[in-house]
Amino acid sequence: MNTLIGNMMQVLLIITTIVIIKSKSNIKLVVFFSLFSLIAAILYYLNKSPDVALAEVAIGSAIMPLIFIVSISRQREFVVINHTEDDFLDNKVGTGYNLLMDFTKYYNLKLRIYNIDLNSLKGIFRSRNVDLIVEKSKADGKYVLKGKESTVLINKLEQMIKDIPNIYIIKISEAETYD
Amino acid sequence: MSPLLSFIIVLIGIYGLVISKNIIKSIVCLNITQTAVILLFLNFGNLSDGNIPIIHDSSINIVDPLPQALMITAIVIGSSITALSLIISIKIFHYYGTLNWEKLLEREG
Repeated sequence: MNTLIGNMMQVLLIITTIVIIKSKSNIKLVVFFSLFSLIAAILYYLNKSPDVALAEVAIGSAIMPLIFIVSISRQREFVVINHTEDDFLDNKVGTGYNLLMDFTKYYNLKLRIYNIDLNSLKGIFRSRNVDLIVEKSKADGKYVLKGKESTVLINKLEQMIKDIPNIYIIKISEAETYD
Repeated sequence: MSPLLSFIIVLIGIYGLVISKNIIKSIVCLNITQTAVILLFLNFGNLSDGNIPIIHDSSINIVDPLPQALMITAIVIGSSITALSLIISIKIFHYYGTLNWEKLLEREG
């Protein structure tokens, strides 16, 4: 009985591995990885080590798919913080909104605009990954986009806004902070 | 059959690492290879007539509990390595705008 279950589980493990290698979508990959860990846990138990099987069920098939799914959903965001008080970044009206929408569509990103004051952020929100900050300059009334210096995305954005007169970009190197 | 199974799964995992174009899939393939190695070590410690290592009678023979203790440590360390590499993949995506290896090399050079 034990050897029959063992042989079946070994064949199932190989089939699941091939399905993981062949699958195209990210979410499908993670679900099949969870199944792979469950079958591996059964094989650990049949090798007379129930403690390792317990750890594998808890970590391999629950916690690891969780962090995979959280990171997959988090990496498609392009976070923009809005400091202007007029309708530059308003939905479907402002020129800046349309510009950033075209830009994020080109790279398959999801645009998230937050209308918050940076000084009111505290604790964990302050260390959040911000990609771009939009401000209105007090001296000449132009719009300023602040971003990190080394990214390819900012260089592409700089090429896109070359023709538009009242927008310019400030690049900040890694060691400095935004504010 | 179990050392052969570990060998096959390590081969499939390395094949996936070589052909995969997505960073997420590469991380999953690393995890697959690690699981195969854990299975190999547990199979080396296994005896066909041994019992599970819980001692309630000193006359019965049990399997070796040392590889099992080491492999629990390996599982925990593997999960933390996975979390670290996923964080690095998010950083790469925000810098280059893609997670495809070929496009990454294009934009880098």
